[in-house]
Amino acid sequence: MNRQIAKLTIVFMTIFLILFSQLNLTQLIRANEYKSNPSNTRSISMTFTEPRGLMRTVDGEVIAETISTPGDLKRLRQYPFGNLYAHITGFISFEYGASGLERHYNSHLSGTEIGVRVQNASDLFLNRNRTANLELTLRHDVQLVARAALGTRSGAVVAINPKDGAILALWSNPSYDPNNFSSHDLNRVDNFRDDLLSDNQNPIRSKAYQESYPPGPIFSIITASAGLSSNILAKDRPIYPQVGYYVAPQTRSPITNVGGKTCGGVISEMLEESCNTGFAQMAISLGPTILVEQAEAFGFNSELAIGLPDITESFIHQPEFYEPNLSLLAQSGIGEGGVSATPLQMASVASAIANDGIFFSPRIINKITTNDGEVLKNYQPQILGRPITKSVSEELKAILLKSVERGTGQSVQTEGVKVGAKIGIVRVKNSTATHNWVIAFAPVTNPEVAVAVFVEEGGSEGVYTQGTDAGPIARAVIEASLRLPTSTVNEP
Amino acid sequence: MPRQRVIELTLLFLVSLIICSLYALSAHGNRSSIPANILPFLLIILALLAIGHAAIHFLVPTADGILFPIAGLLNGIGYVFIVRLDSGLASNQAIWTAIAMSAFVLTIFCVRNALSLKRHKILFGFIGLSLLLLPLLPYIDSGSGKTKLWVQLGEFSIQPAELAKVLLPIFFASYLIENRELLTLGGKGFSTFTLPEIRHIRPLGIGSLISLLILIVYQDPGFSLIFFFISTVLLWVATDRLIYLGFGTLFYTVGALACFSIFDSLQDKISVWLDPWDNTADAGYQILQSTFALASGGLTGTGPGIGSPQRIPEAETDFIFAVLGEELGLMGATAILISYLLIVGLGYRIAIRAHTAFETLLAAGLTTAIGAQAAIVIAGVLRLSPLTELQIPFMAYGPSSLVSNYIIIGILLRISQSTPPIDPHYSSITNGTRSV
Repeated sequence: MNRQIAKLTIVFMTIFLILFSQLNLTQLIRANEYKSNPSNTRSISMTFTEPRGLMRTVDGEVIAETISTPGDLKRLRQYPFGNLYAHITGFISFEYGASGLERHYNSHLSGTEIGVRVQNASDLFLNRNRTANLELTLRHDVQLVARAALGTRSGAVVAINPKDGAILALWSNPSYDPNNFSSHDLNRVDNFRDDLLSDNQNPIRSKAYQESYPPGPIFSIITASAGLSSNILAKDRPIYPQVGYYVAPQTRSPITNVGGKTCGGVISEMLEESCNTGFAQMAISLGPTILVEQAEAFGFNSELAIGLPDITESFIHQPEFYEPNLSLLAQSGIGEGGVSATPLQMASVASAIANDGIFFSPRIINKITTNDGEVLKNYQPQILGRPITKSVSEELKAILLKSVERGTGQSVQTEGVKVGAKIGIVRVKNSTATHNWVIAFAPVTNPEVAVAVFVEEGGSEGVYTQGTDAGPIARAVIEASLRLPTSTVNEP
Repeated sequence: MPRQRVIELTLLFLVSLIICSLYALSAHGNRSSIPANILPFLLIILALLAIGHAAIHFLVPTADGILFPIAGLLNGIGYVFIVRLDSGLASNQAIWTAIAMSAFVLTIFCVRNALSLKRHKILFGFIGLSLLLLPLLPYIDSGSGKTKLWVQLGEFSIQPAELAKVLLPIFFASYLIENRELLTLGGKGFSTFTLPEIRHIRPLGIGSLISLLILIVYQDPGFSLIFFFISTVLLWVATDRLIYLGFGTLFYTVGALACFSIFDSLQDKISVWLDPWDNTADAGYQILQSTFALASGGLTGTGPGIGSPQRIPEAETDFIFAVLGEELGLMGATAILISYLLIVGLGYRIAIRAHTAFETLLAAGLTTAIGAQAAIVIAGVLRLSPLTELQIPFMAYGPSSLVSNYIIIGILLRISQSTPPIDPHYSSITNGTRSV
């Protein structure tokens, strides 16, 4: 019998070894997979009984707070401005976890972060509710104007302070009211979530930083930057031929200009007219490496870590891809051919050009403070790089200023301040509709704000009205940012 | 003092140290203060361990000195985590521990010689079977939302099958010892492929049948598997004939498959096991929360009291191991695995060293019961097997598994207390390779 029992011991050792292996698999090897599983709301635990820090804008408006309520459930998370900050604060829900800042800064807000929990030695022994508050870079007045200016149109508005990367406004329409997620009424939460998920406009995602779109003609600023930086292009040379179409190498289908016009000339004239044929040629003569490097220096193909989770990268193909696909390179020169950008990305481009080529990392958090107002963490402006030199920046600024004063950008013109802007219209595939873009900055000499406006399917190709659609939105946001008297925005 | 008792006392001292530090850390992590009102219950647990030790000292002075401290360690860690989950359960669990410890002391007090258990094999077999079938009685309340495995007593639920887990191995072991030679030698045919005669296969059939019956009665594979393990393993240990193992497994598997195809509730258990992601909000919720808890624990865990194990429904009874994995990490969970493996190893060592074949077989059977139960529960929590209603020995909340497993420890200690064989007939049956 002892022999059998010895064998049994081996059997049990094997069984426990298998258990141990599975334990390793669950706790170490697959742990991250499980942690990021969508049905795992564990990392963000919300209770209706515990305190949670608040969020406020840089001008002092509270945009997320936990209030006390009578009854069994002692507390309720509230978002006083409804849908205005939904894509920034995100929501926190009993069943569905959290998103946005509620998720990204959960440990600070809930006070589980050790620096928040233990602020002095007595915290080790006393049971205090320590939570931290977030101060955002957003300005409530600018955010309100952004929402009002975009109105019912679907799209996004981003405003950045070029001198330190502080995001002043980050609005995307349609939005949703996060109060519906934090509600005590869990049935209401379920229904609300179902409605949101079945909405094909996808209000739960921000078009400002979670969705990307072909940037179209406004991308030609990047093509121009690459050209001006690489000496194949100067203010007055080369003079591109006046043509109506351009056939890139390796293809037979021509690139045409919007409306079938002919255009060409020097760089300022081409930017002015959104001259597709000229920029397509420029992209080909630059070659893929220079163009892609320039775009990446502006932030393409990397995540702009503004302090929010789930940020979509803007995309341009790698140079190796373009070598056998030069026709796509030509298209990429005018912001098509697979190039896609978030409005946040294009605002960053405007910001870097405005700030003498110094690219400050855009950010949404100013500081984290304790309830007593003591600063736990101060977020300093960070320089991401220098995508262009000061002289290239000066040349581009001069061109874009001229565009507003005399050219297609007139709808952005703002009284009493010099604005630089570039307007762009992108044909939507298989549709007569167009996406309308504007990037702008002001004042030109000493920029305080850089703006990107994106209006999804905001125009139609038949009605070729350059910038009347998105231009006034940009103007309104600039006026608000600079605290100028605001003009009215005409909605179509 | 015998050497074993010195070892035991030293280990118990270390165990108390571990439990107390764990308790302090857990309480501090959970609410940043040490709640004074639960402390007395912790002291009760430690006092009970001391009483257990005293009883061992007087009743089985030369018995194994490691088994009891390990049981106490698991008991204490389980207690700390139960209180951490719900401090309202502290007093109850202290009472269960007291009951279990009384059962333990009573066991080593009443069972002066393990051989005497054999005399009452029919009685034990009968009581064991009755306990198993008890839930079938129409006026037995199994509590709302619970399977037949449970019997509601006032506001508490117990599992009568747990006690059967102790009694039936006594019956199996006695039966096998009496019929061992017949089972080993009987049969016709070639030397290696001798088939036992039909009447000798009966015990095998009975073991598998009881196991299948349990599966049908409870609609839960847990106890069924344990009884199948015990009966089959004991048969094999007693006879060393693999053919029993093969036939038993075949018979049981076919029967179990038939049961699974008939009963929806069993099918549900399997489908949740195979694909919990299919229904994350409902059927798969509990097991996935357990997986997520383990994943968030990582190597060293979140720290006692700092995790969020309250997200796992019924954590204190079904998923205490996952709670532990979350807060103590892979390291803590591994320590628990090792503790159970040590119990198994010590149990089998006691079996091998026992003086009579009956004691060897009984110790092997009881050890298999604890080992299989721990393995099945942990495998369920780790999604290696379907979830069962079994409770992890010594750690889960509730009286059932505490009482029965402490009784098992009691019997094992009694067997390990080296008593000279009193019945020469049985000692002649031992196979002579024992080491003392």
